[in-house]
Parts: sequence; structure tokens; C-alpha cells
Amino acid sequence: MSADAPALRARGLTVEFGGVPALADVDLEVPRGRSVAVLGPNGAGKSTLFGAAVGLFDPSAGSVELGSSRVAFVPQHLDVDPTFPVTVADVVLMGRYGDLGWVRRPSREDRELVEEGMKALGISSLARRRFGSLSGGERQRALLAQAVAQDAEIVLLDEPLTGVDAPTQEAIRALLERWREAGRTVIVATHDLGAATRDYELVLCLNRRVVAFGPAATTCTEEVLYETFAGRIVRVGSLMVDVSEHHEIH
Amino acid sequence: MDFLVEPFEAGFVRDGAIAAALVGVLCGVVGCYVILRGMALMADSLAHGVLPGIAVAFALTAGAAGEEPNELAIALGALVAGLVTAFATSAIMQRSRVRPETAAAVVFVFMLALGVVLISRVQSYSVDLTSFLFGDVLGVGTGEILASAISVVAVAALVVLLYRPLLLISFDRQRAAALGLPVDRLELLLLVLVTLAVVVGFQVVGALLVLGLLMAPPAAAALLTRRLPAMMLVSAGIAAASAPIGLLLSWHLDIAAGAAIVLVAVSVFVVLLVVRPAPS
Repeated sequence: MSADAPALRARGLTVEFGGVPALADVDLEVPRGRSVAVLGPNGAGKSTLFGAAVGLFDPSAGSVELGSSRVAFVPQHLDVDPTFPVTVADVVLMGRYGDLGWVRRPSREDRELVEEGMKALGISSLARRRFGSLSGGERQRALLAQAVAQDAEIVLLDEPLTGVDAPTQEAIRALLERWREAGRTVIVATHDLGAATRDYELVLCLNRRVVAFGPAATTCTEEVLYETFAGRIVRVGSLMVDVSEHHEIH
Repeated sequence: MDFLVEPFEAGFVRDGAIAAALVGVLCGVVGCYVILRGMALMADSLAHGVLPGIAVAFALTAGAAGEEPNELAIALGALVAGLVTAFATSAIMQRSRVRPETAAAVVFVFMLALGVVLISRVQSYSVDLTSFLFGDVLGVGTGEILASAISVVAVAALVVLLYRPLLLISFDRQRAAALGLPVDRLELLLLVLVTLAVVVGFQVVGALLVLGLLMAPPAAAALLTRRLPAMMLVSAGIAAASAPIGLLLSWHLDIAAGAAIVLVAVSVFVVLLVVRPAPS
């Protein structure tokens, strides 16, 4: 892709599992350097969109491509054997593997980027701890530190705030702000409509297909939200609530 | 000290110890990936999947007159059948949403049943089936030692060269895909490495017991180490040391040699499990 190509481009993207479509005929162009919230209920295809973009799932039809090879992807869950023999510093260093190749030893610059990543997420003191011994929030921080160390142009985060404590949420929000200011493309799957309209430039409403995509302030109309969440939301006073998952979304 | 030296004065015990130690190093290193990727059933499938290849090689080279089968043909037959098992399992996993253990189990039982069918057509095979299952560590020759040594060097070189890609796909498959690594091909390569360890190992400790060397030393090493290179070194060390210790016990207690080696390896794991918690 050329330097001015979109950060993510999907054309007629369809992904099926066992004949059941997780994504159907998705057309989408995410401009470079923008922050995007991806909204949708569970099963809407948010994780599938990310997985297809990084090549984990083959499209049943259509195509999807990313505008850079420097892509950081932090999945929603990472099931790791608690005895898996890697330290936190090892995991953060994995962010440098794309530049290091298979055998080149990490340079001082690589090590500084690893330090910077751990410092940004407040996990420098955990560097020598085994990754599997960390709490869920600490693991999430380590994986985000890996994305910082990678110095990625495009960052895909799948529900990064789910199931983590308040200090970790704060650290993640600060990191998202930092990436936005640095002009990186940040695409975040979330259930938090309040944050989506407040903290991101663009919102993608997804429910197996693109319901709406555009500026955060004007895209999330009540009609769009009802269509996105397929009737699983109700208005309670000034709030929109996802009654199937008990997420407060507006 | 005679107690320690006496068994190894016999050439066949020395050769057995060297071959088993080399197989131990091979299985100790490859087994780390088996443990880390939860491939235990896959390894079991590969261990039994070699059976049809052995039966065919036996039928082709031993003939009806009860001649000795060609050992190289047996090894090649086992390798081909093991690779068929690995490729078939990989293909099922990639082309369907079937869970990896289900794919492994289906191919496992198919290959095992096919092997039994072929063996039933070769009546004189029944005696040799015992050595297939339990090995013949005290009957190894220069060929097995050489094959084991070459395999150790080849696998060690691959593991060093592909350290980062193999670590990444073992730790986080999604991250590996995002970095553009050929995840499916690397996973297939791991299956091939396990197949190689099984084929080299079954001739020494048998198809059933080779699993012990693939599983127990890495599991023990995981209790002592917090980084993969250290885990591999400790695992290889435990597996290699189990060979002479097992043969020593076998000699003095008059018990099956291959089983004694595996029992030593498993005992190390059990003792460590009791006395040492996993490192933080």
C-alpha cells in the first residue's frame, strides 16, 4: 500500500464460521492518523474484523488490508499457561521482533523502546516477573507496553478496558491520548458509548455489517444505536443501557 | 563406585546410554514446545501414527521367510507415516473449526487402526510389535546413535534460528499473525519436529515411552525456570541424565531399560513438583 493509503480498507468483506456469517459485506475505509471507536454488541464481529485485518481469519468473500506493516494488535483475551517461561521484559521485547528479524540482537535503541513501553504503562518494576504470574490488568499493561515498544503506526485494541482495574483503565486512557497526539491510527473495540463519542474522532457502529461510520458527534443517533444493538438497548432517563450485557453505553 | 561403573563396562549398555541421552536431549528440547502449546495429545497421535509406516516397511523388507527387517526402511516408513499424521491433522485444523485435540484424536485412531489392520496381514510382526511399543535401548547400533546425533544438531540449529518466531506463535498466535509471520507453516514445522523426535525416539525407548521423554523433562524444567532458553537447557539436561541413571537402575534391579529411563524422568518432575513451587 502507498503512504497515503487508508489505515484499514475492507471491500465486500465477509467472514463466515461454519457457514454462519460473523461479518457480511463490510465496506470500510479508515483514514490514517485517526482514532476510531468500534461499537457493537457481543457477536457483532468486532474481534472478527480485527482478526481478519491481521490475517488470523481468511475472508469468505471480499478483502481487507491494513495500510502499514507496523501493526500492533492487542486481543481481548490472551490465555497463557501460568508457567509459560517468558518474563514481562521478554513480552515487551516481542514488540521489537518485526524490526529485529529472526536473529539480530536487540540494539540499545530497541532496549530503550522496551524501557519506554514499560515506563509508559507503569510496569518497570515487573520486568523480571514471569508473565503468567501477573494479574489480568498487569497483563493488559504488558501487552500495551509491547505495542508502545513496537512503535506501531496502526494500533488495534480489542476491548482494552474490559475487566481491568481503575488505575489500569487510567493508564490505558493516557496511552490512547498519547497515540492520538502522535498521529497514530488507533482503532478500539468498545462497549462504552460515552467514551466512544467523547474520546474518539470517528465511530464505527457494527453489527455483522456496517450500520454507520463517521464523526463521533453526529454518527451515534438513537436510531443508529437501536439498529446497532438490535433492540437490546433501552433508554433510562438520559442513559442508553445495553440490557443484554448490562453495559451502560450512553 | 563399582556399582556406578560396572554396567557401563558393557559396550551395549554404553551405546544404549549414549543413544538414549541423545534422544533425551532431542525430546527435552522439542518437548518444551509440546508442553507450551498444549500439544500432548498431538504428540501421542504422532507416536501412534507411525505404526502403519512401520508395518508397511516391515512387510516390504522382512518378507515371508521371517528375515530381519531393514532398520533404515522401518525408520523411513515411520517418518513418512508420522508426517502423514502431522499434515492430515494440520489440514483438518486449518480447513475446519474442529478443535485441535479432536483433529489429533481422529487422525490418531485412524492411523492406529490402519496400523493394526496392516500388522494383522503380517503374522510374524507380533514379536517386533513389542519393540515398537517399548523400544530396545540395549540393542541400538551405530546407525541409531548417528541418526540421533544428527537429529539433535539439526533440531538445535532450527530452534536457535527460529527461536523468535516459534516463541511468538507459542505465546500469542494472534500477535504472530499481526507481525506477518506464516503462523500455519510454523505450526506445521513444529509438528514435523515432534514427528522427528518421535521417529528417532521410538527406536530407542519405544513409541509409548517416547512420550514420557517429550513431556516429563519439560514439565520439570518449567518448575525451575522463567525463560524459554533456560527451560530447554534444563529439560534437555534432565532427559539426558535420565538415560544413564535409568540404565543403572535397570542393570541392578533387572527391570526394563526404556521404562526405567522414563520413570527416572517422571520421578524428577514429581519430586520437583513437591519440593519447589513454580517461580514467580
